[in-house]
Amino acid sequence: MDETHLVGRVLGTDDATPLSFWVALGAQQYLQLDDVVALERPLPQGRQVRIYGLVTQVRARHEGARFDSDVFLIEDGILPAEVSQAAQVMATRFEPEIFVPPLPGQPVYKAVGTDRDMALFFDGMAKRLPAGLTRDDEPLYANLEFLDGTRGAHVNISGISGVATKTTYATFLLFSLFQSDVLGGEAINTKALIYNVKGEDLLFLDRTNAELTEEDRARYDRLGLTPGAFDSVEFWAPPRRDDPSATPDVATRQKGVTSYFWTLAEFCQERLLPFVFADAEDDRQQYTIVIHNVVDRLAREAQPLPDGGVAIDGQTITDFEALAQLIADRLQDDLTMPDWAGRAIGQGTVNAFVRRLFGAVRHLRHLIRGDVSNPERHRVQRQAQLTVVDIHNLNDRAKRFVVGVTLRRAFDEKERAGLQRPLLFVVLDELNKYAPREGSSPIKEILVDMSERGRSLGIILIGAQQTASEVERRIVSNSSLRIVGRLDAAEAGRDEYGFLPAVHRQRSTILKPGTMILSQPELPIPLVTQFPFPAWATRPSEASASTTSGKSDDPFKGLG
Amino acid sequence: MPQKVAIESWDPEYGVPSSESPAEETDVEIDPDIEVPLAQWTPISSQGLESDAKLVFIDGVRRIDANAWLDDGVGPLRQGMFASFAAGAVEVGDRANLDHIEIRRGLFAPGSPEAFSTRAGTYRPFGVAGRGANELSAALQERLGALEIEVAGSVENQAQLIVVDGPLYRRQHLPRTIGYIKTHRVHYLSGDAEATVAALAPRERTPLFRFRTSWTRNSWYLRLPGPMAHAWSGIVRIEASADLDVEECVSLAELSCRTLPRFASAPHKDPRAPQNLYPIAGLERELRRRLGDPSYIERSLRAAAG
Repeated sequence: MDETHLVGRVLGTDDATPLSFWVALGAQQYLQLDDVVALERPLPQGRQVRIYGLVTQVRARHEGARFDSDVFLIEDGILPAEVSQAAQVMATRFEPEIFVPPLPGQPVYKAVGTDRDMALFFDGMAKRLPAGLTRDDEPLYANLEFLDGTRGAHVNISGISGVATKTTYATFLLFSLFQSDVLGGEAINTKALIYNVKGEDLLFLDRTNAELTEEDRARYDRLGLTPGAFDSVEFWAPPRRDDPSATPDVATRQKGVTSYFWTLAEFCQERLLPFVFADAEDDRQQYTIVIHNVVDRLAREAQPLPDGGVAIDGQTITDFEALAQLIADRLQDDLTMPDWAGRAIGQGTVNAFVRRLFGAVRHLRHLIRGDVSNPERHRVQRQAQLTVVDIHNLNDRAKRFVVGVTLRRAFDEKERAGLQRPLLFVVLDELNKYAPREGSSPIKEILVDMSERGRSLGIILIGAQQTASEVERRIVSNSSLRIVGRLDAAEAGRDEYGFLPAVHRQRSTILKPGTMILSQPELPIPLVTQFPFPAWATRPSEASASTTSGKSDDPFKGLG
Repeated sequence: MPQKVAIESWDPEYGVPSSESPAEETDVEIDPDIEVPLAQWTPISSQGLESDAKLVFIDGVRRIDANAWLDDGVGPLRQGMFASFAAGAVEVGDRANLDHIEIRRGLFAPGSPEAFSTRAGTYRPFGVAGRGANELSAALQERLGALEIEVAGSVENQAQLIVVDGPLYRRQHLPRTIGYIKTHRVHYLSGDAEATVAALAPRERTPLFRFRTSWTRNSWYLRLPGPMAHAWSGIVRIEASADLDVEECVSLAELSCRTLPRFASAPHKDPRAPQNLYPIAGLERELRRRLGDPSYIERSLRAAAG
């Protein structure tokens, strides 16, 4: 707080409160939104309280004008008036914590260096995760302890598709996690699973971005990051439909993508059938009991065959349609029906099940099969640091199946390992699809479980959605870091965004791509942050030929 | 015994009546022939309407903060008056800028009162010869006039025309200065000359005339643009020092015609439109603001009086 950073004085024509106060700006001074300021208020007995805050609103007005049209007189040099500028500051921190208002007339300084760190609580963050930059390219941090499970976990990102850059920001957070040394020695073992839901944007994470400018690089430098691509990535895509050799169904990338599917044997043994149904856990639905009986039956009866097919009662089954037909036959045969459907199940309930099962066959046929040799090659392995699972080409039902099954597998593995570290980060957009506020489904149960227990299991959900109001409350409320990109104006007014002060809500409706509002538990006010242009390619045109990222070879290679 | 002060409980507005224009008297002698003979009197329109001449407007405001009774334990109880007064200038060029604002606070009382300190500042003592409220008020007006002269003296070099709100009074020695009078308590002209005033179109002026009472001034009437409700709508009287020769006076009159109409106020913005010019209104508001909050000052006076 030295005189060179003096910007103005607390004004006395508006109330100054410990939460918010206005600062009149000096003649040649300016403050912009999100600037950080500090001041010192003396108390009796020579004590001082340092008050830190963030600029949340700035205003300018004519003093001496009484009518709106006076502005013309003033500009014509007829009426004397002064322009006055003032900034509203919302206090972030009191040191020591004596909540007194600043006094009118007290000098206010722009906070730099340690003062800025104090204002934004960066000084107390033992592990600082670079989370973006301010408009004047000062780094902003998130406290890793609220992400890695120590004191909190999970991230939730809201914003309009296409403008809010939710996935890009999530990817940036992963990049920052892996690249900065905030995870220390653990970084190398920390993994992430990310679902590609839109276009083939995430299929080039291992390529550096050819359009990255020197300025962008400098911004990475400011954050202490080395711009580049992700070092260790594996890509999984669904197989092409009706392709017996199961080549991956991607258009823009030929190499390095493996197709994934589940064998019928896995399907039966790992009890994956419920994931075929959207409402398999919904108590209001009668037919769900049939699902569980069929699951049991399949687990018991199905004998695995070499290429992933199964034999049930001596019948060889190599594709999902045949399996569905077999289940339908068993359910509709009066002799086998009690065994397969359960006792006292009405024909209507069975039919409801069969109808839904057949409804799913078309969408899942290429994902659940037993007709490809060496099927273990097509099992999502998660050997690399970052696993990209492409689901953008899939029907909603198939998306839910893939996400549900992969998440459950990851969750089960973590649970079995019983170790919180190394962490597994899961990035999932369109949460409203997988964990809607209403209803119940296996995948929603997993996501809720993950948000509630993931913190202790070391599995961290980075969820995103257009509208938080449509997502299961528990998932949003368990997220320590809440992030908002451009919001729809009607959405911004909803209760789910209560963590945003009114000004930030307003601003959320005009945020540009690349700008996010970041709320973290320690800071009473969310930070508006910009993240640098991706250093990895996000579309084929950006991908540079090589995968050079300035780093050594894939440390995961050969570990498989 | 130290000076004892008691604050009058009446609101000062009700207290001592003031005559803000001691300068106007009715017993006048008029010479209408100094620019053109009376027989040729006709409205004169200015050459070129607007002007980017650099102007300075000067005005002062006064406020009685409290009336008081002073008791020095020797003589009889004396009536005193706490007053705040301020004078300032607005320079008008490309922009209108406030300049040279001076604020004073004074204790006006008969004899030799002492300075009086309050939280709001110290009231300087001004001894007054008479004992009545009118004398106190006149003394205040005199001090205000002196302050305006002080302000004018500090800006005079910068301006082509200095416009003093009200009669010139004792300011006639300032160069290039005109007095700007909004109200017409005295009809200086009669007959054809008065008819010329009524015939003025906006931005036109009468020829110069000279009047003599206990002092002498050159003067002319000017009509400002604005709604024409009656024959004297928008008429202001302007006076200049009689020490100037006629050519100088005419050039001041010309300049006033070309420049002042542009500052005329609109009725919805000023109750004294169009005569109350925008820069003067703005200056007056600012000066009143700088006098401070009256209730706060009254409170601090009462607190200091104990």
